[in-house]
Amino acid sequence: MSDKTINISDVVNLPLDLKEQKKALEQKSPAVVEGKVKVYDPNRDNVKNLLEMLKNRLSRQTVSSLVGCVHCGMCSDSCHYALARPHDPTMTPAYKADQIRQIFKRHIDWAGRVFPWWVHAKTPKNDEDLNRLKNIVFGTCTGCRRCTLNCPMGVDTAVLVRLTRGLLTELGIVPEGVFVVDKDSWETGNQMGVSQEDYIETLEWQQEEVQAELDDPSFKISIDKEDCDFMYTVNPREIKYDPRSIGYACKIFHIAGESWTMPSFGWDQTNFGLFSGDDKLGGYIAKNLYEAARRLKVKRIVISECGHGYRSSRWEGYNWAKYKQDIPSESIMITLIRYINRGLIKVDPSRNPLPVTYHDSCNLARSGDLTEEPRWILERVCTDFREMYPNRSDNFCCTGGGGALSMVEYKPLRMEVAKIKADQLIATGAKLVCTSCHNCVDGLSDLIKHYKLDMKIVQILDLVAEALVIPEKNEKK
Amino acid sequence: MSEFLRILEDEVQIVALAFMATVYTIRLIWMFRFKAGKEVTNPVGSPRVGAAYSMMNVAMPWAMESARKNLSFYVQFVIFHLGVLVAITATFILPYWPEFFEAEPIVRIFQLFMGAAFAVGLIRFIRRITSPVMRLISTPDDYFSVALLTAWFAAGVFAMPNQHEISEWPLILFFGMTTLFLIYVPFSKISHYLYYPFTRYFLGKTMGHRGVFPRKKGGEKPAGME
Ligand code: SF4
Ligand code: SF4
Repeated sequence: MSDKTINISDVVNLPLDLKEQKKALEQKSPAVVEGKVKVYDPNRDNVKNLLEMLKNRLSRQTVSSLVGCVHCGMCSDSCHYALARPHDPTMTPAYKADQIRQIFKRHIDWAGRVFPWWVHAKTPKNDEDLNRLKNIVFGTCTGCRRCTLNCPMGVDTAVLVRLTRGLLTELGIVPEGVFVVDKDSWETGNQMGVSQEDYIETLEWQQEEVQAELDDPSFKISIDKEDCDFMYTVNPREIKYDPRSIGYACKIFHIAGESWTMPSFGWDQTNFGLFSGDDKLGGYIAKNLYEAARRLKVKRIVISECGHGYRSSRWEGYNWAKYKQDIPSESIMITLIRYINRGLIKVDPSRNPLPVTYHDSCNLARSGDLTEEPRWILERVCTDFREMYPNRSDNFCCTGGGGALSMVEYKPLRMEVAKIKADQLIATGAKLVCTSCHNCVDGLSDLIKHYKLDMKIVQILDLVAEALVIPEKNEKK
Repeated sequence: MSEFLRILEDEVQIVALAFMATVYTIRLIWMFRFKAGKEVTNPVGSPRVGAAYSMMNVAMPWAMESARKNLSFYVQFVIFHLGVLVAITATFILPYWPEFFEAEPIVRIFQLFMGAAFAVGLIRFIRRITSPVMRLISTPDDYFSVALLTAWFAAGVFAMPNQHEISEWPLILFFGMTTLFLIYVPFSKISHYLYYPFTRYFLGKTMGHRGVFPRKKGGEKPAGME
């Protein structure tokens, strides 16, 4: 195990890396030319712009969180950063939120405008200050909302961090990784820049795999088929790195006798707007998905296993896109429960004998409604399910949330604070850690490797697919 | 009772209260001028139940890990806020129903609450000075607010016997500080009680809508089974 401790000043003083921004400018990247992705301009008055945007972006909810903090310090024990670095008070959630609160007090709130010193109201002086602000809100918080649910006042620190990220994103003062993913999202409609060709090819490949496994040439993954029961949407990571999960899901839909389709565009259920704080990008990606469902006249949208994808597509996206939810959407976990409960698929738990624990994704359990659903499934598809403590909405972040996986410059700090999660995992004694989130899969994989834990990561679909009893007629001869 | 104390207990308090109410009203109008975020999604739970649950959070230490794990801090919180409630009540009873404090047990009960709150105030002040976390997030207003409240409780302990015929100084001190409070509070973090219902309501409404509040302990029927 690593016993290295990062010097926090090395993190907050990390410079603004502009390689990708410059490259995009030189290549005349469409998202940059059209002004969808903002590029940092040192000749602009960025401080002034930030202050103007702040005024326009405040809502009653954010203002209440800005004025509501009493500096009681109760949130200091909630955050995995603070718990893993007890010697470092800058990890306290209130301190992180204070970075934007101080600016709000100085320019918008009254006591701070008159007596700034008295309430620590401050103004950023230059771009260096904005860069430091960037390193705090992107580098020391995963927006997991654990502090939010543990604040006696109900202050939503994670929302304030996202608000600040959004302001900085508009100025191009962002980590390189965030810039790249934002650009890819605008240009390709998915956050990993997967081309339509690759997407279709991957689906065809999975179709062939399942056909061979079931020895059933009638199995088909239909693309853009109208009037199906539901439209299945996935995480680009599934196309790029884990296409088996698409095969598993579609095989289960087929056995359950469903009619489903996948859209050729608008298939990315994830949304980097959640992490970068860019509501415009969030609205664009979410709207692509909702429009696809409308175009295909489906009755439902089913969202594959991903915490931030579920939160964005099911909850936040409609608000960002100002889009009325006329077609219901659900997580694939709900779909699976329906199948198992109605006997549409049969599962044999003895095929998953290893001890399994479940990691609640923050976005499913704290910003979404799914805590009992994964447990219900796991209790039916494996024989030794063990709770992790704390769990459900008290669980700790995988430490890769909030887009942290795309920001390599903060990885050493992320790995250091992952200690708290590593200890939580070790205490279960499980050999498999199951999570219903592709982002958590990567976050947890990083820490399992870093802390050399004897564990493997799986998702619900992996375990259901393993336990799935293939009906006779489909079984390979 | 001297005329000075009489005016301090009555007219001055009314003027200070009116000032506080005016500033609070302006403050609320200011807050409500910011646009309200709206949920346009189909709900899973009830925003109303979520909001109610969220508002009651303060009385459910088991519902929040930060309170569960810091029960002593929670007890301090309860004592401190009961002290505030008792002291505020006293500021109304002393001028308008002085006979109430003729019964010694009542005086003792009020003194007990304020004395306990004073002790908690001291602990909180020391914590704010000694803990690196608290020092980092504390502003001069935070220190001043705790110090002022703690001193007010101490003044309250001495003022409760309400013996202006023997000595008026404890009462003058207590009501003098009350006046200062009423004028200072709307500009300080002590006004958090004004925001508490809103902050908790907004969070509760969203979380209730999404089915996160009331928080699940397990054993509930999963969705997808209907
Ligand atoms: S965010 Fe909440 S818990 Fe943290 S210091 Fe502020 S009021 Fe206290
Ligand atoms: S949202 Fe999560 S990571 Fe961010 S400060 Fe709060 S507890 Fe820490």
